[in-house]
Amino acid sequence: MHLPDFNYYQPETLQEACEILGRYGAKAKVLAGGTDLLPKMKQDVLAPEALVSLKMVSGMSDIEKVPGRGVVIGAKTSPNDLVNSSVLHENFMSVSEAAHSMANNQVRNMGTIAGNIVNAIPSADLPPILIALSATVTLVGPVGSRTLVLEDFITGVSRTAIAPDEIMEEVVIPEQSTTGSAYFKFGLRHSGALAVVGVAAAVTMQGSLVRDVRIVLGAVAPTPMRAKKAEEILRGKNVTDDLIAEAGKSAAVECKPISDIRASEEYRRDMVRVFTKRALRKAIYLEQSES
Amino acid sequence: MEKYSVIGKSVPKIDSRAKVTGQAKYTGDLKFPNMLIGKILTSPHAHARILNIDTSEAEKLPGVKAVITHKDVPSLKYGISPARWDENIFCIDKVRFVGDKVAAVAALDEETVYKALKLIKVEYEVLPAVFDPIEALAEGAPQIHDEYRRNINTEIHQNFGNVEEAFAKAHLVRTDKFIGQRTYQCPIEPHSAISMWEGGKLTVYCSTQSPHYFQHYIAREFGLPMGDVRVIKTYVGGGFGGKLEPTGLEFAGAVLARITGRPVKMFYDRHDMFAHNRGRHRQIMEITTGVDKDGKILGMHANFIMDGGAYTSLGIASAYYAGAMLTLTYDFENYKFDMIRAYTNLPACGAQRGHGAPQPRYAFECHLDNVATQLGIDPLELRLRNARQPNTVTPNEFKVNSCEMTACLEKAREISDWEKKKGQLPKGKGIGVAVGSFVSGAGYPIYRTDLPHSAAIIKVHPDGSAATLYVGATDIGQGSDTVLCQMAAEAMGYTYENMKIISADTETTPHDFGAYASRQTLMSGAAVKQAGEDVKNQLLEMAGVMMDKNPGNLDCREGVIFSKLEPEKTLPFTAVAREYFVKNGPLVGRGSYTPPKLGGTFKGAPVGTSPAYSFAAQISEVQVDEETGEINVNHVWDVHDCGMVINPALLHAQVHGALYMGMGESIWEEVQFDAKGKILNPNMSDYRMPTALDMPVITSALVESCEPAGPWGVKEVGEGATIPTMGCYANAIYDAMGVRVNSLPLSYEKVWRALKEKREKEKGGGKKKK
Repeated sequence: MHLPDFNYYQPETLQEACEILGRYGAKAKVLAGGTDLLPKMKQDVLAPEALVSLKMVSGMSDIEKVPGRGVVIGAKTSPNDLVNSSVLHENFMSVSEAAHSMANNQVRNMGTIAGNIVNAIPSADLPPILIALSATVTLVGPVGSRTLVLEDFITGVSRTAIAPDEIMEEVVIPEQSTTGSAYFKFGLRHSGALAVVGVAAAVTMQGSLVRDVRIVLGAVAPTPMRAKKAEEILRGKNVTDDLIAEAGKSAAVECKPISDIRASEEYRRDMVRVFTKRALRKAIYLEQSES
Repeated sequence: MEKYSVIGKSVPKIDSRAKVTGQAKYTGDLKFPNMLIGKILTSPHAHARILNIDTSEAEKLPGVKAVITHKDVPSLKYGISPARWDENIFCIDKVRFVGDKVAAVAALDEETVYKALKLIKVEYEVLPAVFDPIEALAEGAPQIHDEYRRNINTEIHQNFGNVEEAFAKAHLVRTDKFIGQRTYQCPIEPHSAISMWEGGKLTVYCSTQSPHYFQHYIAREFGLPMGDVRVIKTYVGGGFGGKLEPTGLEFAGAVLARITGRPVKMFYDRHDMFAHNRGRHRQIMEITTGVDKDGKILGMHANFIMDGGAYTSLGIASAYYAGAMLTLTYDFENYKFDMIRAYTNLPACGAQRGHGAPQPRYAFECHLDNVATQLGIDPLELRLRNARQPNTVTPNEFKVNSCEMTACLEKAREISDWEKKKGQLPKGKGIGVAVGSFVSGAGYPIYRTDLPHSAAIIKVHPDGSAATLYVGATDIGQGSDTVLCQMAAEAMGYTYENMKIISADTETTPHDFGAYASRQTLMSGAAVKQAGEDVKNQLLEMAGVMMDKNPGNLDCREGVIFSKLEPEKTLPFTAVAREYFVKNGPLVGRGSYTPPKLGGTFKGAPVGTSPAYSFAAQISEVQVDEETGEINVNHVWDVHDCGMVINPALLHAQVHGALYMGMGESIWEEVQFDAKGKILNPNMSDYRMPTALDMPVITSALVESCEPAGPWGVKEVGEGATIPTMGCYANAIYDAMGVRVNSLPLSYEKVWRALKEKREKEKGGGKKKK
């Protein structure tokens, strides 16, 4: 429980940060909120030679609606910034709610949206709802930037497509026809618990017709996963309770949970069924209540 | 005029300003010139022979000042319970659990300490290990201590009255089996100790519940006179039973300090705390009760096995307490108690809030609800029919003076609206009841001695503007410094605001056994009252001379001495105290308390004896999510008989805190291990204590009660409110969903599984009917 030695850098530009990262390769880590990184270092799980702090790099902390792009979220935005953002309240309340379900107030003040994504922990709360909303991430490297679909960005447990010398700059929720979305986190106490199951749903409704739907499951596979068969059950159909129940059952079959100290595989599957149902209901109800 | 001027009032806690401003220093905050940092190396194996320990690489590391193993420390075995001293400062021949203590390092800084620990090479021969008490008791199981055949640490067989005959006469005899879980106290402040020597005298600053027991065992281990060991308690961030006994940090620190000639600070981190443990035992509990057709209990048999872990700790007492406390709340004559405490290769268990009692109480209260259901009697009514009455004696010979069990149940029924809710709440909502009782201090100390249990000195300052109370009583956050100052001021006829206190320092304060068994308000309070009255008597003598009155006609209240016959004739406390000092020197009051001889003569009779017992009834209302098993506790009503209340705010805070812990143990908390005995959740993320968001609305209520054995009629509260909680929630869940989870914790998944099994059974049953 003691931080090991490391070199500490506090660059003022992303370019400079990328250069330092380039020098160290995989032996350096980016430090933003530190809520995942520092505990791992204290527990001897990680021992980077260098930490590159983004503290002095300006910007990357706004949440804005940009015409033609969607809602642009700076990488250094904290979960509590997401909780309190009027832009999100007006456009994607479900993202604020997902952020509010994370950890505890202290961690929500310190952590960042990019950290929650880049750490790629299967139970992370933000990726499922962001994937359901077709979010993209922009990475800056030494020779320019690139944009990836978030769904493709997370590749495994603690693994992503980011290169050692790249830094996430922003997350974008594109303009879309989605009429409602929801995220349900199921943890084993009412605060400060990791998700046993997380389910996000985003729907595009036209009356009772499901024009489009995206269901994303968290904590039940190495990466957040789409429940594509469950989506197929609903897509293009008129929504009914039976169809929603069927989608829940399908998601429970599609997911790939493990048994661990928090829950058994069997329990997780059934919770996927329950919360897929609840997430769909909430996403669809929101659409109905607005019309 | 109110009867009392200082007690019975919610005065502010005496240390609240220091704590909220950060001025309060805990042991971990203290620094001394040249102080070294030390840490203990522990075993990675659950059971292994130590073949060799090589410390040479660690010793070479720059900054390391000393590395010690069993070769450098006394080999005298210690423990807290003298009947079973089975621990060594460091393991000699083998290690018995993951976390057993093997060596220690002192270095200039924390970073070097951690590096040095990694450089100590210990060669182990791994031995087969056993983690389940029933497996440990089987023939051929790995032998954990050579001296204890079949890993039996403690075996108890008690038989009062004639249980078999009672069962033969009974209308219904029912047996249920329940299983508890391992929990850990998780005080917010980690254990630490700073040791330093001045010549032959050792001083230890530490986070402890009992400076006296620390002093006693440190002196014994090093062959020092008690007078050469000074133990000073700093501010303590909670103990709950886990800081009552030596932790190993004091012993290792004392040796490292002697070798290096420098103060040494030793500490546990959160993981170390879980490994050191001394938390709640996991008990396997079978209860059989015989009742008549009205539900009157005729006899009861408790047949338990407990997982003790690798050492005894306070476990002998826990084992006896588990059965002893079951006789308190209900009046029945025939009682049989069988218990085996088994050694396993897991961290040692000890005393956790409520000691051995909460899990057996959970089992008994669930079992009684099953009996009530079977007989078609309202569970609260069944409890009323059996409730113990004042001035009675339990079958195991505990004398109960004040006892408002009936009033607690009736009041709880009334304020919770039980009659309108029981069996009538919508599906998913339920209400449950359970009761409990606890000692107000143990009748006998942990080791055999005729020392008084508590003592107090009050020194009035020369000008009378302040009085300092010196007590060995130990404030670990529960507020004993505050209530004892209130009691001192009341007894002296003084004011709380002018009281100062110095407590829990074995050199400056008089002897007291410390904070355990809910003893201090009654026992330390009795000593303080006597000391206060001693001051008052001397002061009134002096005032008699000054006022030319018979001292017998004078009294003192809130710092004013007055004639009872002519109340307008007064003198200030300060003036009389000053005059006393001028004429006689220091004005000092003294008091001590020894409980009367209590209990029977059978084996184990002392455990559970107490001058007085608290009683409590709890009712909870829960909401269960039928699909997920998630439990929301909406409201809890706790009604306590705890005698006269010295500080209502602190009392209700104790109830909230006890309930909080009971609630965590009911639904969330469990220390989990892998197949090799390694703890899987030694952290606050996966060892899930409740958060503020999990807490229900709490109504903490009292019934009128006055205990003749306690000063001003006081009894305990701190542990009693933890005891009913687990059974209370289990019964509420049963009321909500019609399922009974027979093991703790009552986790969401277990409730979900029970509901699923019930649905499948109903479906299957339905098909058969067709």
